[in-house]
Amino acid sequence: MLSTLYAVLFYVATIILVVGTGMKVARYARTPAPLKIPVSPAPRTKRGVWFRMFREVAFFQSLFKSNRWIWIFAVLFHFGMLLVLLRHLRYFTQPVWWWVDLIQPIGVYASFAMLAGLGGLLLRRIVVPRIRYISNPSDYLMLALFLGIVLSGMSMKFLMPVDILGVKQFFLGLMRFQINELPTQPGVLIHLALVATLMIIFPISKLLHAPGVFFAPSRTQVDNARKFRHLSAWAKQLPPLPEGIPEPEEGK
Amino acid sequence: MKRLVTTLLVLIGLSTGAAMAGSTYPDIPKAVGAPHPEGNDYMRLNHMRLLRHDRNLTVHDGDRSIKYSIKECVACHAVMGPDALPISVQEKGHFCRNCHEFAAVKIDCFQCHNSKPEDGFIDLLKQNPPATDDEIQAYLDGMSQ
Repeated sequence: MLSTLYAVLFYVATIILVVGTGMKVARYARTPAPLKIPVSPAPRTKRGVWFRMFREVAFFQSLFKSNRWIWIFAVLFHFGMLLVLLRHLRYFTQPVWWWVDLIQPIGVYASFAMLAGLGGLLLRRIVVPRIRYISNPSDYLMLALFLGIVLSGMSMKFLMPVDILGVKQFFLGLMRFQINELPTQPGVLIHLALVATLMIIFPISKLLHAPGVFFAPSRTQVDNARKFRHLSAWAKQLPPLPEGIPEPEEGK
Repeated sequence: MKRLVTTLLVLIGLSTGAAMAGSTYPDIPKAVGAPHPEGNDYMRLNHMRLLRHDRNLTVHDGDRSIKYSIKECVACHAVMGPDALPISVQEKGHFCRNCHEFAAVKIDCFQCHNSKPEDGFIDLLKQNPPATDDEIQAYLDGMSQ
């Protein structure tokens, strides 16, 4: 009964996560960028933009430049989460990929980094008066949700061990469209319910900054306004350009 | 709507592609000797704690008269190879290895300890014939009361 409930929950959550995020991304991709607004210093070539986006995604460059404290907590949280997520691949692969096997133990320590990052970000919202003033309930909700997921996950690792073989069997079953029995230890049920909640609200939450960063004109545009005329898609349908003005390089 | 349907189809296609043949649960070899009084479920969740706890007692406190010994674990849970001798953790089918591979958890016990029963324990295995299904069922019935 509980296994069926969780199976349905995870199928629904997965569909909402994938379809919902996909629809949001499609909307971002279709949104016109009528003006040339790359934040300077901006790269003047397309290759430079790729390099800039890599620095942005891999090192959070703009955050590093603007606020060192948030940057420290953000790096702790995001890269801790990356390792923890990769470690969880062991529940979805059989046989487990060799590199997952390799980083699996490191993910245990990464959970502490995640916790420290989340704690710092939450403390910032409560302690810094101007941040506290602009904090919405959803800002706290996201931090609380992640904290709940991290703490319930860590409790299963360090306090109350659970039947991880059963958990893996349940998820391998879901990937094969069969419902296997889910262990009913409270840690498993709480952790999975919170994760499903996160998956469901992801497409309508501030967490969309993950796909959104790739569609931010201030980061993804090439700084070549002096060389080429910038045209958005709708403007291309206008009458042809007068003599002497070069065609735009690309649509962005 | 069309996009939604396409995405769903792709999703189902991906999941079916991931559905490889084969069992989704590791094979757990049967042990010889009396079943654990704590029950298998307890041991599955807590064996690592018992081992670590006893490691600390033995190595840090010098207490060598503890209840559990990895030697006994290895003896009762020995899996025989084709030559009718116990196999080591290096070989596929070893009792510890099956589940640990499934869960991608490294075992560091056998960096120092022997994963095969020692000679004295092999004699012990010969004295105790393997438990029959009826015996195990009777034990489980007793546990559930």
